[in-house]
Amino acid sequence: MADMSALESGSAAGSEEEMEVLTPAQLIRSLQQAWLNEKFSPELLESKSETVECVLEQLEHMEENLKRTKKGDLKVGIHCMEVERIRYMLNSYLRCRLRKIEKFFPHILEKEKSRAEGEPSTLSPEEFAFAKEYMANMETYMRSVALKHMPPNLQRVDLLNAVPKPNLDSFVFLRVKERQESILVEPETDEQREYVIDLEEGSQHLIRYKTIAPLVASGAVHLI
Amino acid sequence: MDPAEAEFLAEQELVTIIPNFSLDRIYLIGGDLGPFNPGLPVQVPLWLAMNLKQRQKCRIIPLEWMDVEKLEQIRDQERKEDTFTPMPSPYYMELTKLLLNYASENIPKADEIRTLVKETWDTRIAKLRLSADSFVRQQEAHARLDNLTLMEINTAGTFLTQALDHMYKLRTNLHSGESAQSQDF
Repeated sequence: MADMSALESGSAAGSEEEMEVLTPAQLIRSLQQAWLNEKFSPELLESKSETVECVLEQLEHMEENLKRTKKGDLKVGIHCMEVERIRYMLNSYLRCRLRKIEKFFPHILEKEKSRAEGEPSTLSPEEFAFAKEYMANMETYMRSVALKHMPPNLQRVDLLNAVPKPNLDSFVFLRVKERQESILVEPETDEQREYVIDLEEGSQHLIRYKTIAPLVASGAVHLI
Repeated sequence: MDPAEAEFLAEQELVTIIPNFSLDRIYLIGGDLGPFNPGLPVQVPLWLAMNLKQRQKCRIIPLEWMDVEKLEQIRDQERKEDTFTPMPSPYYMELTKLLLNYASENIPKADEIRTLVKETWDTRIAKLRLSADSFVRQQEAHARLDNLTLMEINTAGTFLTQALDHMYKLRTNLHSGESAQSQDF
């Protein structure tokens, strides 16, 4: 049974190395929230690379322990299932981000370039490398397939203008985590006037993403 | 979000099972479970309950609201009110579906429960369509949607938000296009 006790201590160990002390369960919940927000938000959100790394650490630790146990044990099966569920969530989160990077790469790189020193990056180092490479490949591809066959004065293309921007005006559904007061709602048509709403804790709303984007970043509201 | 993902989230909800095996406490990343003793009820997430059930290692205790009388009340209330009434669980539809598909023999009057939940769902979706319609008609910029569940929002949500985005695009292009048009012709 020695292998089993090693397996059990696995869930408690990783949390000490984290910046904020989160229990593994809280860690998984924050990953889930990051996943859902990313899924529903029109733009790329700030990278949660710390959470991702901690979750990966937990998973690797657990898988390491599982390797040392004998097959066919009921307990091992349950642990495997949990690991797979968390892995699914993690993969889905990262894929969702990659999809957005592929879709909006010139804008994301532009934002990264103009980012002030000390401001948190929206991209993890790996994602930044991916975005740069994607941009370079895209340019090479366009040149070799189309641009070099064009008249010389048409051989340039401005990707910033050619690739659509994330639509920050799109509507999103959200649930309020922390009460917010005086959110200004812009009118839809010229006849309407702007007005102010309060977001009660626990209430749900349908509203333009632009209006509440800072609240998503601060975690005061969750997208659903 | 597709329904499978909503179901994935619903599978994290806790249900009570009565295991027919014994096992020490297990320490999952997401929290501790057990210990499991034959005949003694224990709370586990639904994904585990369904797996154990499929391997015939446990019996699932129906959720407290999965009861014909309670659901009839909920359905009638939902039909009476114009607004959305609170549901017994934020995942009521997913939970009903999963439990009735995989553990219907553990749930008394499964068919009646299925019908009641479906009726409640239909009433709510009809209300949702109506309010979405008036939202679009009046060109509102904000709506409050308390008590709607994730599955309901995602049934109508993607279509609605995309429609709103398109309408917005058409409207804003109309404004900026007026001056640009003269140059085109």
